[in-house]
Amino acid sequence: MQRRNLMKALALAAGMAAAAGTTAAFAQTALRVFSGGANQRPDLMRKLFDQYQAANPGVKIEIETGGATSELQRQYLSTVLNAKDSAIDIYMIDIVNPAQYFGAGWLEPLNAYVGNPADAMKPYLPVYLQSNVVDGKVAAMPGFADAMFMYYRKDLLDKYKIAEPKTWDELAAASKKIQAGEGNPNLQGLSIQGAPIEGAVCTFLLPYWSQGKEFNDASGKLTLDKAAAVKGLNQWLAMVDSGVIKRNVAEVKTPDTVNEFKAGQVVFAINWGFAWDRFQVDNDSTVKGKVGVMPLPAMAGGKSATCVGGWQWAVSAFSKNKAEAAKLVKFMSTPAASKFLAVEGSLLPVYQSVYTDPDVVKAVPWFKDASNVVIAGKSRPLSKDYGQVSDVVRTTTSAVLARTKKPDDGVGEIQSRLARVMR
Amino acid sequence: MTLPRGRPLTLLAAAIVVVNGFFPAVWILLTSLKSEAELVSKPITWWPRDPTLANYVQAFTDQPLLRYLGNSLAVAVLSTILSLVVAALAAYAIARLNLRHRQLILTCIVASSMFPLVTLLVPIFQTMRSLGLLNTYTALVLPYTVLNLPVCTLVLVSFFQSIPRDLENAAMIDGCTRLGALWRVVVPLAAPGVFTAGILAFVNAWDEFLLALSLNASASMRTLPVGITLYQGEFTFPWPIISAALVVAIVPVAVLIAVFQERVVGGLTQGGLKG
Amino acid sequence: MAGASLIERLRDPSETALGVLLLAPAFLLLALIVVYPIGTLIFNSFFDLRLSGGSGMKFVGLENYLLVLEDADFWNATWNTVLITLITVPGALVAGLGLALLANLPFRRQWPVRLALLLPWALPLAFAGLIFAWFFHTEYGVVNDVVRRLGFGSEPTMWLLRPGWAFAAICLTIVWKTSSFMALILLAGLQMIPRSLYEAAQVDGATRWQQFWQITIPMLMPSIIVALIFRTITALQTFDIPYTMTKGGPGNATETLAMLIHKTTIDYLDVGYGSTLAVFMFVLSLAVTTVYLRRIGRQA
Repeated sequence: MQRRNLMKALALAAGMAAAAGTTAAFAQTALRVFSGGANQRPDLMRKLFDQYQAANPGVKIEIETGGATSELQRQYLSTVLNAKDSAIDIYMIDIVNPAQYFGAGWLEPLNAYVGNPADAMKPYLPVYLQSNVVDGKVAAMPGFADAMFMYYRKDLLDKYKIAEPKTWDELAAASKKIQAGEGNPNLQGLSIQGAPIEGAVCTFLLPYWSQGKEFNDASGKLTLDKAAAVKGLNQWLAMVDSGVIKRNVAEVKTPDTVNEFKAGQVVFAINWGFAWDRFQVDNDSTVKGKVGVMPLPAMAGGKSATCVGGWQWAVSAFSKNKAEAAKLVKFMSTPAASKFLAVEGSLLPVYQSVYTDPDVVKAVPWFKDASNVVIAGKSRPLSKDYGQVSDVVRTTTSAVLARTKKPDDGVGEIQSRLARVMR
Repeated sequence: MTLPRGRPLTLLAAAIVVVNGFFPAVWILLTSLKSEAELVSKPITWWPRDPTLANYVQAFTDQPLLRYLGNSLAVAVLSTILSLVVAALAAYAIARLNLRHRQLILTCIVASSMFPLVTLLVPIFQTMRSLGLLNTYTALVLPYTVLNLPVCTLVLVSFFQSIPRDLENAAMIDGCTRLGALWRVVVPLAAPGVFTAGILAFVNAWDEFLLALSLNASASMRTLPVGITLYQGEFTFPWPIISAALVVAIVPVAVLIAVFQERVVGGLTQGGLKG
Repeated sequence: MAGASLIERLRDPSETALGVLLLAPAFLLLALIVVYPIGTLIFNSFFDLRLSGGSGMKFVGLENYLLVLEDADFWNATWNTVLITLITVPGALVAGLGLALLANLPFRRQWPVRLALLLPWALPLAFAGLIFAWFFHTEYGVVNDVVRRLGFGSEPTMWLLRPGWAFAAICLTIVWKTSSFMALILLAGLQMIPRSLYEAAQVDGATRWQQFWQITIPMLMPSIIVALIFRTITALQTFDIPYTMTKGGPGNATETLAMLIHKTTIDYLDVGYGSTLAVFMFVLSLAVTTVYLRRIGRQA
């Protein structure tokens, strides 16, 4: 019942998109879409494309899927786009890429199709006005969201009568109490990602942001507050010293956190939204029904903040069918599409309103808790040189967590390297 | 060579070699029989607690593994044959003919492998696109042949040089042309070298990732190394399933190589060089 | 008559004509596949070509080259690369020679040794690094498990998080993976040595040790040189194993030149500078291998 309504709404939206089109309705246009890897659910995207094709008989959509990880996709896309390939019309790209790809002249500005940025981005979560708008141009339209969440063991917090911690120090204290009480040497208080992967950028930013500090201003200029950044890193190191975070944190990658939490070895875990289903649905999960989600703690006196991720739709600057491509991108970014992805694939909506949609709440109850976290979400540094920014931040953060670099020196290095890039 | 003295010592060395060579492969095999949950247990387990073939089932159902296997095989075999033919001709010219600038010619061929592939990727992609070859076997066979040309040529040059000229001259007196002598005398005598060059070319082509990712991106043309990375996700790395896929990838190659080597080497020791 | 002479000439062409004919396929392929890319690369190295700037190409002459020389990251990566080469090339040669000698012994069952020699080679490179990274993992690694079972050390060592250990682990993995390649070439070389030489030496009363140094090694020299050339070129291009094991970390303690080039080109999208780095790598490779190549050329 619910699904049928959804499909009806979608068909309507697709029909509207078709009616809005001004090009000859029945001219056969083939659009080729790079639809990410398996995690970006090409199967669901295909269903949306089928909807669109049904409402727009002149359009035929082909899907190309790529590497399984953002890193492999970047490797492929940088080759194809650098070669100015016109074979692909639409790209699904990671939230950190619009600025870089737009800066390289690979993406078509969408203002002509979606209107001025402020209005176009208004219905979406606030973060997109930062992440998808470059130099006053709409570089990409939101597809679905993701964010770093704080997962925790509801059962253990209840057992020790501990409330959701609001600050990092409270979290550390709560962890120690539970670890001591459980007497399990393999039980970690908090699991974060310290390996030099993209997630380590968030590991650097979370305690820094939670002091109310910004990494960059609206124009993209570096505004790193050294003292605060050092304090943030020292917060993690203190937790390592006290046994809340494990010693080899600089080795921990995203899947490690998930698998250890699933195995009941972690009290608090920071991870992306996909992890919820791994904890609650997977057959080998030992923590089913024992998991809670809460806003990330802040530094005392600061405010909670998180890293937003997710995927965007962009039109290739080398496409030969830009107008048709832009129409499809608009369709894929409608509330109806966002709702469809939420209900069918538990993909986080890009519209605040969709989080409270009754169908969505029914299908994915935890999105109710997620919405507060996502609305407070921030975008990772916006830069045309994001590749370099990310590399410097994650490498340094990991080295600090491995204790081969002092926090002070590490932050100094980030500052001096990025001052040249983020001007 | 007679049987070595100090047999126990030799056996010990052989045992070390076997363990060293097999261990990672055996570990992969054991992992492919474990569940993902077992991998985070502490202390780690060596033998699977609950051996299961589920990972193999999933490896074959999640991805068209046989298709990838077929693609890899086709690309590797074709490029190996092409590399050997092209390299044998060039190596013969360098090793046997009275050419000026032989050193320069050899250096040119070898030097082509001294640039990191990643910096050549975009122009190679452009070339293949303008030839309309993207997503074909040819798109990979041609670059792999070129990548393998230096090593194959060098190996063959050194082996051709070690074959006495008299044998070749005798064949030519018997009425062979030069190319006939190359084909009937030099190549068979240099069989260990030809085989080695072939195996190097085959495995290089079998392993290659970067070009395969970019030039043959469509699902039906993917090769094995690219295909295996698809079992991982943005945030997941399912070792047991990846291990199962790796076992599927390693076994045919190992068997193929072992059988071929036995053949070639066996044939040689029976009838080969007596000096 | 003309036909006959043409056939005659085809049957017995002049040395130069035959040479051109035999080399043509190789050079045609090189021209088709790598000449344009290499040309583009050298051309790009003279330009400011930062794609993310979006400002197009700007000719800067030798500026990139000068920048490379003062780039601390370049020197760090070059030093790591050279060190890896100096450790793993001789390491793989010794290990490979041992493997080849063993595989060449007349065991009743040869396949276990032969297969052991081939398996590391058959394991896809990108996954070899991942598997060894897992072996060296602090908690889930076999290495620490063995250490624990043997009763050493209360605290497990964090192999890949300590610069020195990480470097050693990478070198060990490279030697493991590449000694197969060495052994394959050397084994073929061993099989080319006529048995009569050993028989004659035995008649003369030479010990096995003398036979090894006076027959095996000299006869094997051409194969050793070929193996060394390629092991050296590939060692200077070391990428996959450190990339998958440590991503160059901790910090940039294990970052190699090829990783720096990859990062500059793919992540930083700085094509001009990446190309310049590649030219430096080429010069380094050529300088090192010319010495070997001259020897092969002279023998020809």
